Amino acid sequence: MPDAVSSSLPLWQILLLIVFLLLALAAASQALRCLFRGQSSEEDRDWSVPPLEASKGRSFFHSWDVRCKIIALVGFSFLVVSLDHLSLAFGALTVSMVALIAARIPFSRALMRLTAVAAFVALLLVIMPVTVPVHPGDRLVVLTEKQWLVFNLRGLDLALTIGAKAMAVALLMEPLLGTAPLPITLHGLSRLGVPKLFGQMVLLSHRYLYVFQEEAGRMATGMRVRGFQRSSGLSNLRVFGSFLGMLFIRSFERTERVFSAMQARGYHGAFPEPETKTLSCIDVLLAVLWLLAGTCLVLADRLMQ
Amino acid sequence: MNFASRPLFSLHGLDFRYPDQTEALQNIEATVHSGDCVALVGQNGSGKTTLAKHFNGLLHPTSGSILYKGQSLSGKYLQQARLEIGFLFQDPDDQLFGHTVLEDAAFGPRNQGLTRAEAESAARQTLEIVRLEHLAYKSPHNLSFGQKKRAALAGLLAMQPQVLILDEPTANLDSFQEAVFLKLLHDFSGTLICISHNLIFLYECCSRALALEHGRLRHDVSFSNLVTDRRRMRAYGLDFSFRFQPEAPRPERDLAATGNHSGALSSGPFPKPQSCLIELTDYSFHYADGSQAIRKVNLKMEEGERLALIGENGAGKSTLLSVLLGLKRGSGEYRFDNRAVTARNSRKLWRQVGIVFQDSADQLFSASVREEIAFGLRRLGLSRQLRDERMERVLDQVGLQGFEERVPVHLSGGERKRLALACVLAMQPRLLILDEPTAGLDPEGEEQILAILRDLRGSLILATHDLFFVRELTERTLVMHQGGILKDLSSRDFLQDKGLGSLNGLAYSYRLQAGEAIQALQQAHEHALPHLHLHDHQHWHGDVQHSHPHLHEHIHGFIHSHHQDQEEHGHPPRRVQEHVHRKHELEDHVHGHGPEEQK
Repeated sequence: MPDAVSSSLPLWQILLLIVFLLLALAAASQALRCLFRGQSSEEDRDWSVPPLEASKGRSFFHSWDVRCKIIALVGFSFLVVSLDHLSLAFGALTVSMVALIAARIPFSRALMRLTAVAAFVALLLVIMPVTVPVHPGDRLVVLTEKQWLVFNLRGLDLALTIGAKAMAVALLMEPLLGTAPLPITLHGLSRLGVPKLFGQMVLLSHRYLYVFQEEAGRMATGMRVRGFQRSSGLSNLRVFGSFLGMLFIRSFERTERVFSAMQARGYHGAFPEPETKTLSCIDVLLAVLWLLAGTCLVLADRLMQ
Repeated sequence: MNFASRPLFSLHGLDFRYPDQTEALQNIEATVHSGDCVALVGQNGSGKTTLAKHFNGLLHPTSGSILYKGQSLSGKYLQQARLEIGFLFQDPDDQLFGHTVLEDAAFGPRNQGLTRAEAESAARQTLEIVRLEHLAYKSPHNLSFGQKKRAALAGLLAMQPQVLILDEPTANLDSFQEAVFLKLLHDFSGTLICISHNLIFLYECCSRALALEHGRLRHDVSFSNLVTDRRRMRAYGLDFSFRFQPEAPRPERDLAATGNHSGALSSGPFPKPQSCLIELTDYSFHYADGSQAIRKVNLKMEEGERLALIGENGAGKSTLLSVLLGLKRGSGEYRFDNRAVTARNSRKLWRQVGIVFQDSADQLFSASVREEIAFGLRRLGLSRQLRDERMERVLDQVGLQGFEERVPVHLSGGERKRLALACVLAMQPRLLILDEPTAGLDPEGEEQILAILRDLRGSLILATHDLFFVRELTERTLVMHQGGILKDLSSRDFLQDKGLGSLNGLAYSYRLQAGEAIQALQQAHEHALPHLHLHDHQHWHGDVQHSHPHLHEHIHGFIHSHHQDQEEHGHPPRRVQEHVHRKHELEDHVHGHGPEEQK
């Protein structure tokens, strides 16, 4: 039988509480974005110095062989995802935060990344406690007199565990992706067996995403200055269809031109490979240690059951 | 093999059809020798870019042949040839696919077989030449447009090409960047093939012109011969001599004469200044990354005023225009028609302010011209009848009658620009904003746009690098620099101030000098051949004797003198259309001309 704790909170108060909680989260997220928006360390950078040289000696993540880094951090992330216990999920989150500090990633960037998953976590925290099925031994908080809204503490525990794991993995992406230029990371992937074409596609997508975004923005502005306003009317759907169609045509034409430009400079199937450092024993040892730490967390998790 | 005696490129009976069977090139016969500086000229859609793409094998002839150093451009030879032939695309974003500027510049040298260190060294050297060495590790998408153009050129120069093919290298560049580009090309010692509508730029860097018309090579002449022959230039839609004409008299503003009290744009006399249309007080705008785009701008503009906005790329012109359109909100006060523009009412500014973008493709998205024009009119809530009336009127105004069912994306560059203008004019805004209205247009397209804009009466803001349009269309000029308004003066004063260009880093002098040189060539040419001339002297129609300027054809091999006190005459070239008495030639009359008759 589940343990039940009664509460006499009226429904409007509960709803108000939820709305207040969501609003507070949204406001905090927005405030963080506004706070760090103007802080661009990139602008202050000396662009005549290569990124690896600029970050030389900054942290071991920056000088770690990219293949070992990918195996260790991606492997660790998979192990973290398989954790079931809240305490160990928080343990993984702590490891990620330590890695973040060690990689000397700006705090603002990490927070911006966290705000991206914050909405997902907040949704889990609100929905899961009231939707998980009640199992024997569950602790329940009955919020209304007629017992139709039951707050299951196991649901809260589950939501917190998932949230902590999501944040741990999200934070690990910073040391993984933010400590080496993208071409080097992608080259590392291809050296691990991922098809080279995949790396080229990601690289070009990353480059042209901004161009397409700007094009779409200019077209949207072109519509706005002639009175287009977003709404769900049928005529607007038609306009939106034309907009997407035109964007597709422009993007398609652009890809043809980009390919021509690549051919014109001698491209025949492969990008020149970026500079890579040689693999050392320390690189491998560090990767093994990372994976061991993850394995230990999983073992502890299984032992606790 | 001795390449010195052999042409670098030989084109024999070259035809090209696109997959949809559109005939783009027909029977092209030409040769290009090493060291030639060739201009490919012609109207929009004449086949210039299509031909240029044959020079480095991006397109292959449907029939006929193109030989590079005596061999056909195909297979492995093509791969090898491409490493010697650099092609600069019109849009630098097409070409800058590298993750960083240095990586992009080293892409070609790496494909030439250089080691990483050698390729990077070559790339660094060329980045230094184009003055971008300080941005070597920056992502291309974070560069300004002018920087992107130079980075794209660096990527080609790093390959030390024997041939450089440039497609509209100066499109959308300010005069300073244009001058930088010109200097770089003057320093290039290889073969140059350049496509541009900027004939003054071509005059500076090319010695030979291949003129294309509807996919056919019409002329292969020296560039100076081409620019001096106005009749030929006009036939190819390239005559830009309208730029050398003296300033046309401006109609006076007179609201009472038109009864146009709404202030909406229309054809007819200028409305009288009646009130302050725009007022910006200490207005500043910051982008999300913290950079300041405009700073403490103070601006007053009256209803009916025509204003030019001048400044280098990145001076803040576009941001200021976005503010005026209500698309961006910064700090400070913005009043439109004496009412404060707030977050709420800025969403309705589109009813009062219209803009024609630099790239018309940004504002054309409908399936037909009719739909495109009707888009804004529907948002205004006009009835079908009113929509049709306005559509008919604006299509007539911009010379696109009968285009109602055409697909905008299939129109030529000039037609698209006029359509974009028609879409805005149909909405009868009180303020029209034009952002680089001549970008990408051939001279004929420019002249057509100019004719339409000259007839418009109403408030106008023109953001441009084109001083001729400033002179022709505006009365007042704002010079912007680093987000602020550096100078606010009459357009006449601005254009007469030769030293002003150096204030905001713009360099107009080379264009003015080249323009004067071309004008002198045209005059010398016209006076050596039978030509039409405008004369003002006594003549007779039967018994009636009178005097008025009129045209007639004559030839003289001497320096013509109209006035006693001048040995040479120096009037700018005139047009046949300027004849004030059109039927004059058909009438029975006697007249003579010469210096003696002017006495």
